[in-house]
Amino acid sequence: MKLTVNGVEHDVQAPQLASLLHVLREELDLTSPKAGCQQGGCGTCTVLVDGEPRRSCLLPLAAVEGAAITTVEGLGAADELSPMQAAFDEHYAAQCGFCTSGFLLAGTALLNGSPGATREEVLEALSGHVCRCTGYVKIVRAVEAALHGEVHPERVEASFEPEETEVLIPGSPA
Amino acid sequence: MAKHKGRGIATIEYPTGMNQNGDPSQAWVKLKPDGRVDLFSGTVDHGQGSRTVHAQIVADTLGVPFEWITNDNTNTDSSAVCTGSFASRGTFIGGNAVRFAAEKARERILEIASRELEIDPSDLDVIEGEVIAKGAPDRKISVPEVAAAATWTYGELITGTGAALKPFADVNDDDGSVETEPHSAISYAACVADVEVDDETGEVTVERLIQVYDVGRAINPMLVEGQIEGGAMMGLGLGLLEQAYPYYPETDHRGDEFGAYLAPSLEDLPDLDNVIIESPSADGPFGAKAIGEMANNAQPPAIASAIHDAVGVWVTEMPATPERILRAIDAKRDPRREGKRVVFDDELSVRTMSSTGGNGFLETDG
Ligand code: FES
Ligand code: FES
Repeated sequence: MKLTVNGVEHDVQAPQLASLLHVLREELDLTSPKAGCQQGGCGTCTVLVDGEPRRSCLLPLAAVEGAAITTVEGLGAADELSPMQAAFDEHYAAQCGFCTSGFLLAGTALLNGSPGATREEVLEALSGHVCRCTGYVKIVRAVEAALHGEVHPERVEASFEPEETEVLIPGSPA
Repeated sequence: MAKHKGRGIATIEYPTGMNQNGDPSQAWVKLKPDGRVDLFSGTVDHGQGSRTVHAQIVADTLGVPFEWITNDNTNTDSSAVCTGSFASRGTFIGGNAVRFAAEKARERILEIASRELEIDPSDLDVIEGEVIAKGAPDRKISVPEVAAAATWTYGELITGTGAALKPFADVNDDDGSVETEPHSAISYAACVADVEVDDETGEVTVERLIQVYDVGRAINPMLVEGQIEGGAMMGLGLGLLEQAYPYYPETDHRGDEFGAYLAPSLEDLPDLDNVIIESPSADGPFGAKAIGEMANNAQPPAIASAIHDAVGVWVTEMPATPERILRAIDAKRDPRREGKRVVFDDELSVRTMSSTGGNGFLETDG
């Protein structure tokens, strides 16, 4: 069967009912989609199927024949981040990184499909993705920054300044 | 049957690193011939940002730009020893190791610069990648030039090693008592939780967490903020949701799949108000103490006391599941005998008729 991933066509040998996640990771060596729960519950395996975020752990190969698949490998490169990747970098929206691929692709689909999304629509698009590290705040902030075009991919290092937090030094004038 | 608002507070103190049994972190710093710096530290970065923080500490200790530092901790075999990334020790103990290593490398930079400039090392300073004579700023040599001179002229590798270790505690063999140095740095935190409790379903919504952390010195405030926000959601999970063995020590009903273990989701995210207080430690790198583990310690007790404020019951087991809250409310609804009185909760009780006009208790004949 033929599978188009990140614009490259592959001949895939796996059985028709093998999960897309398995094929991407094990056969095509694309490891950005993570095998979290493999039950559709965590979002770490999310890929774009014809631009739509889908959970690749639940997709049998047969269901994506002819579709265009995008994984994080197809978004940008280390020296040329996509706007969503640049926003995640800038806002420290990834800690361990296990959830990050899923959030990046869900965010990218939102950016492409409804760049004017409201806060509620952003939360809706990202809900169902579990992150154990960040407390979600910086992920939401990064996605919104990308939607609003407030990213600086040319920047070389992340800011050290906090975004939400007040810093108090005892004894110093307020 | 109503929703009740409540507010609770919890405070904690948190010691950094392990004590009583030795706890080493080690690091190695060396300069390339062009002045760029290689840092090898054993501390594992699992997203909390220790690689960045350690590179910052080395950059500021040496006096060179952050971008010149490469922090390579990829090879366990050749890396310096580190007990591990736990016990909130990465910045304080691991950070001290890299600081000590950088201080020694800085001494060698000054020594070589001193030979080149013919100025005593004690009269030199390193600022933004240049070794400059104190009081005579035009007498200077760049760190890359120093590194080149070391390599090609003096045949020296500019390097420094650092090791941070709390000594083993003295155990008294007769009575087993332990004598040890007190913790070298203690961080403090407070958390205020605002909750809404539904006394019909037992559900708790955390609406807001106000969190204040004294971390000594926030070497990288954005990373500290990431720890505070992540810790908030972990603490919320511990306080309300997460439970591997609901009937521990019985192993029945433990979850056997992803969906059976509830981790906080985006829908659970409350408003977060964070404050970092910088009250420096004398021993930590640049005054730093710790943020790590304590970031998820204060929320569960703050939430428990907010639940008490809301519906008047103490849930004494974590997590405060709807079931536990409803059982506690039920127990409180039931009138109970206290000496000669039957006591009931006027607001919560549905089974008791008040004949005292809401004074909250009935006298019995007894
Ligand atoms: S692995 Fe597919 S949703 Fe969790
Ligand atoms: S960054 Fe670790 S799970 Fe999201």
